[in-house]
Amino acid sequence: MKAGHMKKGPTTAGESRRRSSVVSGGGVLLAGALLLSSCAAAPPVPAASSVPSAAQAAGQAVPAQSVPAQPVSPVPAITAAPTSPAAVPDIPVRPAAPEAAVAAPVPVSLTVAGTPINMPVVPVGVSDSGAMEIPDAFDRAGWYRFGPAPGAAAGTAVIAGHIDTKSDNAPFSALKSVAAGTVVEVGREGAPALKYRVVSVELMAKDRFDGSSVFRRSGQHELKVITCGGEWLDERMDYSDNVIVTAVLE
Amino acid sequence: MRNRIFTAGAGAGAIAAAIALAGPAQAAEGDAQLSVLHGVPGLTVDVWVNGDRTLDDFAPGTLAGPLALPAGAYELAITASDAADASAAVIGPVSVTLAANGNYTAVANLDAAGNPTANLFTNDVSQIEAGKGKLTVRHTAAAPAVDVLAGGAAVVSNLANPNEQTLTLDPGTVSAAVAATGTTAPVIGPADVTIAEGTHTVVYAWGSLADNNLQLAVQTIEGLHSAPGSVPGALDGSTVGAASDPAALTLGIGAAALALLLGGVGVARTVAARRAE
Repeated sequence: MKAGHMKKGPTTAGESRRRSSVVSGGGVLLAGALLLSSCAAAPPVPAASSVPSAAQAAGQAVPAQSVPAQPVSPVPAITAAPTSPAAVPDIPVRPAAPEAAVAAPVPVSLTVAGTPINMPVVPVGVSDSGAMEIPDAFDRAGWYRFGPAPGAAAGTAVIAGHIDTKSDNAPFSALKSVAAGTVVEVGREGAPALKYRVVSVELMAKDRFDGSSVFRRSGQHELKVITCGGEWLDERMDYSDNVIVTAVLE
Repeated sequence: MRNRIFTAGAGAGAIAAAIALAGPAQAAEGDAQLSVLHGVPGLTVDVWVNGDRTLDDFAPGTLAGPLALPAGAYELAITASDAADASAAVIGPVSVTLAANGNYTAVANLDAAGNPTANLFTNDVSQIEAGKGKLTVRHTAAAPAVDVLAGGAAVVSNLANPNEQTLTLDPGTVSAAVAATGTTAPVIGPADVTIAEGTHTVVYAWGSLADNNLQLAVQTIEGLHSAPGSVPGALDGSTVGAASDPAALTLGIGAAALALLLGGVGVARTVAARRAE
């Protein structure tokens, strides 16, 4: 839609370069990962930990000498009070080089006190139909690896398992009956286990599934342990509801 | 003479504006988000917005922003880093119009012939389906058309300055290289590029082939994730039901392979193709 803006004129790279002075990097604003301000709850991303922590906030890094001493009309520095409608706040600046990903500790086991739920946890993603993947085995649970991990600073860590096998109930069938205060322990790879306590057990109708609340990536950190429940609906070949246990870190 | 080239990026502004809920949260309602990438080697500059010095001593290979700016027209100018004002621009001044809730990256870069110029790209901040990430590659280097290779195979072909292409991918780390179109000898990379789920990763090729300083810059736009549509916790009947597919379990975990979703190549690609000169 902007194609009409294209203008072309003579270009003189050489002249541009001659006119510019190449200064040393002393005043360069290296503000680290501040750019990534849009979603504090997103899973750990490269910049969060691999950018030097000593980086300064952009606005503080403006060297005084870089602003001309006697402009006819004073030039406001970045940190100056906004003086025009287009005035900008401190602007984060970071190196744009590719960075390596940093992964959070992965959950490997789930135990719900007073139930048969004591099983390995494996990372899972999304099926072709857009559903959360669930391990086929009745004695294994899946952790939604694209969302927050247990122990994350924010958002919900989601672990789910099957309620039944083709012929019998699975350990997760006990989920609907857990009481508030029940201890839920999540073992992690390379990190201490985490102890959660159940704060609620709810049924959520599958036809009114609220994915954005179950799979939150911001807000208070919670653990959601999920399986199926409600009624078996032959016509859907599915249960009517999800059983959602919400637990918070002790 | 000043370079006045100011090419608009993808024409997805209307789409971006319509689905801007997922954009960076620091903005006031309706503000546009403007990031600025410096991709001109060897040239430390100041960036001026409407005559105000906005970025001081902005160095090559750095990314600033996003700035939250009310929708409207802005004049951007890039000067030498010791300029007293914006009058002696080395790039611009150029006028850009930022739509409400739009997300943009202004890039100071070299055109294909090596002359400093600027491009305004519109970033697609639409929601990404659960389990996927988005990758856009932008050619902002003084170099001929290129292919982008992942694992040795071209995933983007014949991309010319200042065009872009967007792919929807499985998350993972991609070993990406850039080669002249039709070849596989890297002129950049290979370098690991992380495609995070729910994140739009924008990779810029910048620098100059002739000066042997081509490199990659990476911008990420987070918070574009979607939630899975359901949690199918029943195994009874699942073998005949369509809702769950246990066979797909965990297979893709950790796989760095690029699974191109041909159907998922979005608006930006179409636009980029249309814009190809």
